[in-house]
Amino acid sequence: MGTTTIMTTTGATEWVLRGQHLTVGYGRRAVFHDLTFTVAQGQILGIVGPNGSGKSTLLKTMLGLLAPLAGRVERRPGTTISYVPQRERIDVIVPVTALEVVEMGLAARAGAMHRAGSADRTAALAALGLLGIEPLGRQLFRNLSTGQQQRVLLARALAGAPDVLVLDEPTVGMDLASEAAMLEFLHDINRSRGVTIVLVTHLLPIVLNLATTVMVMASGTVLQGPADDVLQEDTLTSLYGVAVRLGTVAGRRTLVVDRGAPRHV
Amino acid sequence: MRLALAASVASGLTLGVLGVYLAIRRIVFFGLVLASAATFGAAVAEAMGWPRALVSLAVGLGAAASFGDVDASTRVSNESLMGWAYAATSSATVLVLAGAAGGSADTLQLLFGNVLSVQRAQVILLVVLAAAVSALQLLFAQRFLLVTFDAQAAKVAGVNTRLWSLGLNLTIGAATAAAVYEIGALSTFALLALPSMAALLVTSSLRSTFVVAGALGAVVPALALAAAFYLDLPAGPACVALLAIAVAISTVWNRASSRRSGA
Repeated sequence: MGTTTIMTTTGATEWVLRGQHLTVGYGRRAVFHDLTFTVAQGQILGIVGPNGSGKSTLLKTMLGLLAPLAGRVERRPGTTISYVPQRERIDVIVPVTALEVVEMGLAARAGAMHRAGSADRTAALAALGLLGIEPLGRQLFRNLSTGQQQRVLLARALAGAPDVLVLDEPTVGMDLASEAAMLEFLHDINRSRGVTIVLVTHLLPIVLNLATTVMVMASGTVLQGPADDVLQEDTLTSLYGVAVRLGTVAGRRTLVVDRGAPRHV
Repeated sequence: MRLALAASVASGLTLGVLGVYLAIRRIVFFGLVLASAATFGAAVAEAMGWPRALVSLAVGLGAAASFGDVDASTRVSNESLMGWAYAATSSATVLVLAGAAGGSADTLQLLFGNVLSVQRAQVILLVVLAAAVSALQLLFAQRFLLVTFDAQAAKVAGVNTRLWSLGLNLTIGAATAAAVYEIGALSTFALLALPSMAALLVTSSLRSTFVVAGALGAVVPALALAAAFYLDLPAGPACVALLAIAVAISTVWNRASSRRSGA
């Protein structure tokens, strides 16, 4: 535990978020020591690892929700960040419509005495429209499907026109079609709007096809660098302790565990 | 009677509206802790001969600041901490009053209140408080909602969630402490917990939830006062009983409504 291997540095100059010599954890229990990272403007950083590997702890530290045990996290001055939490974390007891949820994304950036007006409503509807769910605006958030709720939360994040979009397990509970649509959308807004994306997931295939840079976390080790460099069969095999094979199907990168191979390579 | 009515309506309106935040944050027992802590403050003041309202307010605010935003550890849940706080303050209240002259009468007064003996100055305080809470709601509703719905996302967006959450908790603490001595701990807790519960069952928008909770909070204590007057019943328990009936009716309405929409 606590060792960090930096396989490749990103070489980024236009950083938006960076951490220096971080020790990350809760109380006295450190999950990682001496972690240094840089999130460059316009990149898609995929943070991936098995459950319990410390992804969420690192994410909370990156976002300022959890103070690092040592080191520091910096945002480039003026950088705006929007966070899309895991959908399960949102309590559906609150009787708010999808539109009101999106308006909260605007209210968070406005002054304390701000009251939602017609401009907010228009912007919120535009954000819903961006995700193709404008007709859902008047429906209660709690009555929407998993995929629709996730898209509403994404619309809320985008309504504030952030420089950086941070998503925690955005495809959990989604069916295949919704997952594919979500990933394609993220890819599009990264290319068309230059929104930097930080994505946390336990699903390697997602980062294989979306991320430009990755952090792979497992067994107290962090490997980070360009996706093509880090996501190699031998690296993943060593990190996960199972034989990993990479391939391509219909232009998409896929990953399988080779059960015929020795378990610990 | 008019003073009692004004005090009941002002307290009920304030607590009914603020109780919505407790319900949607799923910390209804925080209201019980606040009511119990404010009662303990009043009991200490009673025993020591200190100004009751001031000590009750101080203890209520202290509890609001201490327990409203506490992070549960992996071993002890928030509910357990609140259970501890309630047990500690309620037993301490009885112990403090046990040593005071007229202890059992004071205990009954603190638990159930005596709104019929309310003074003009106390009514003015409650009405001013109700107006202040309404003004805060009008001005900062968006902020309170942000920290209630998804505090983490709000914090990432730059909102000082700790400050706003504390402000909301202190508002609830002040309203609770002000109400406790007039209407008693039981009615205070019931007005924090039950109107919001009933409102959430019958409404489908946040605005209407606040309106219905505030209306129930204002109307039910007035009905209870009428019942107390005409049927010679104790006002506090009558108020709680009527609120409990309102929740039961709301539950039936909600189930019938769900069946209709499912059919």
